[in-house]
Amino acid sequence: MAANLHEWSHACWQIVCIRDYSRVFVLIRVLIDPTAMSDTPAVSVQNLTKIFKGTLVKGAFRAVHDLSLEVKAGEVYGLIGPNGSGKSTTMKVILGLLKPTQGHTSIFGVPSTEVASRHSVGFLPENPYFYKHLNGRETLHFYGSLCGMSGARLKDRAEEMLALTGLEDAATRRVGGYSKGMLQRLGLAQALIHEPRLLVLDEPTAGVDPAGSRKIRDLIIEFRSRGITVLVTSHLLEQMQEVCDRVGIMAHGRMVREGRLEDLIAVENQTEMVLENASPALLAKINALVQAEGGGTKILRSSHPRTTLERLFLEATNETK
Amino acid sequence: MNMSDATTSSAAAMTPKVRFSPRRVWTMAMATVTQLVRMKILAFLVIFCLLAVGAGFAFSVINPEQQLNLLKSVTLGALQIFSIVIGVVSTALLIPKDMEDRTLYTILSKPVPRFDYLLGKLLGVLLLIGGGLIVMDAVLSLILWLRQSMLFEDAVARMHLEKMDTPEAVAQVREIVARQGLTWNLHWAVWAIFLKATVVTTVALLLSSIASSTLFTIVITLCITIIGHGEGLIREFFFQPHLSGWAGRAATLLLAAICPDLAQFDIVDSVVNGEIVPWAAVYDMTGIAALYVTVYLFVTHLLFVEKEL
Repeated sequence: MAANLHEWSHACWQIVCIRDYSRVFVLIRVLIDPTAMSDTPAVSVQNLTKIFKGTLVKGAFRAVHDLSLEVKAGEVYGLIGPNGSGKSTTMKVILGLLKPTQGHTSIFGVPSTEVASRHSVGFLPENPYFYKHLNGRETLHFYGSLCGMSGARLKDRAEEMLALTGLEDAATRRVGGYSKGMLQRLGLAQALIHEPRLLVLDEPTAGVDPAGSRKIRDLIIEFRSRGITVLVTSHLLEQMQEVCDRVGIMAHGRMVREGRLEDLIAVENQTEMVLENASPALLAKINALVQAEGGGTKILRSSHPRTTLERLFLEATNETK
Repeated sequence: MNMSDATTSSAAAMTPKVRFSPRRVWTMAMATVTQLVRMKILAFLVIFCLLAVGAGFAFSVINPEQQLNLLKSVTLGALQIFSIVIGVVSTALLIPKDMEDRTLYTILSKPVPRFDYLLGKLLGVLLLIGGGLIVMDAVLSLILWLRQSMLFEDAVARMHLEKMDTPEAVAQVREIVARQGLTWNLHWAVWAIFLKATVVTTVALLLSSIASSTLFTIVITLCITIIGHGEGLIREFFFQPHLSGWAGRAATLLLAAICPDLAQFDIVDSVVNGEIVPWAAVYDMTGIAALYVTVYLFVTHLLFVEKEL
């Protein structure tokens, strides 16, 4: 029911605010079959196997093996794994860029093999490049036009996306002169131009400096608050930890671990307690209490918590402004 | 059918289908034109204009008929080279570059059918070639008209000096100059050049949709272009009774089937010689070009729609 309400409100928002009348279908769909919609995951991957055909020299290569996963509407799902674990292949199959050898994938219930499934999705590939001869604004107009947008609606949406990604000042500059971080933000803007319900981000912070990386992370958190579902891959596990509701860990083309982040990373038999302004006497008392408890209870470590290198970097670089 | 399958089929049935969209094709085409123009690919226009002026005014030792012949021959030859080179190189560059830069991923992850993408790219290149040919046709027409007026006046003045400017002689010179000068035939020749470039560009599109190397596409397309000019010879060779061996026959048949018969569009020599191009020939050329483009585009779509990106 909550998913239904989310679906309804999102569709109404798109119809009223960005005049996307194709969303009327969503409203009708929910009216006709409310039970079906409530269970429709944003992304569904069922028993996916992808084998790349071999050549005379190289044999066939199995990139993904019997993979199943579901991303629920409105959540941020992180797909992590080492290089060559099959993350990007899985994403490409979800987006219809590759065909599955076995199994099937769908986006909000529409099979990925149908072009119509791409109405609901925005994609940011790893290290994206755009037509260098276009400037930032022209690039967004180009992608918006491909999605059927035009006129004032397209112009307003492009300006909104430029503002959201902080590229207003660079809007008239050719994309060929953009830095890596700017390209990444432009990639996010183009992925969002048609107000998708699902964002697929492949290594969104790859090659971006900590400040740019932080900006992208903040944007992902903002997308979640707006009800946009996010499927993201990254090597930067600390960042994934900050934004993801659920994660799936892939290795050798298989899902080896999946679940809610808190459940996966919690150490069940340990408790963390951070004290502020605790006197040495208090610490000694706590220590004594723990020792008196016995039965295997012990303090493993006691030290001052440290800031992260990233936080230190951001504080230091902001001080110089 | 389980619950999940039912949900999927219900959602798929209710989702509006993405159909062919001329507007989307136009968007792709305009982006392609902008890309090529900003790559300064039309610098060739300047070279052509200089060549046309040079061919029109540099040689003054030959008679009016030969001078007009030379002007048309040089400039129409340059137009053929321009259109084919631009068509092949641009097309060979575009799709592999889109794949290499991952621009194709961002485009095809939008609701864009692959056929719309292909047609947009082709249309963009053809718009560029067509636009360039229109400009060059206009420049050529202007120079030809100026040159024929000057040559006629020179010839009449010379006849007047030699006291040979009888009405019959002047009419004869006027008729020669008019036949070799600016006529509709010149525009038909440019149209034939455009049609030939269109067919060659579609062949390049087909090859670039399966090849990952730009160089491969360019070299093979140019080979097909050369073979295509000798398609008649290949057909004759195939039907010769002394040709034995299935391998030779199969290879000849394959070549004849793959390569377009580009000799169908060769009316430039006739136009240079001042012959009149009949309407029927123009219709035939246009129809043949449309057929080739349709077939090649269909095959390209079949290959590209299955391509793993």
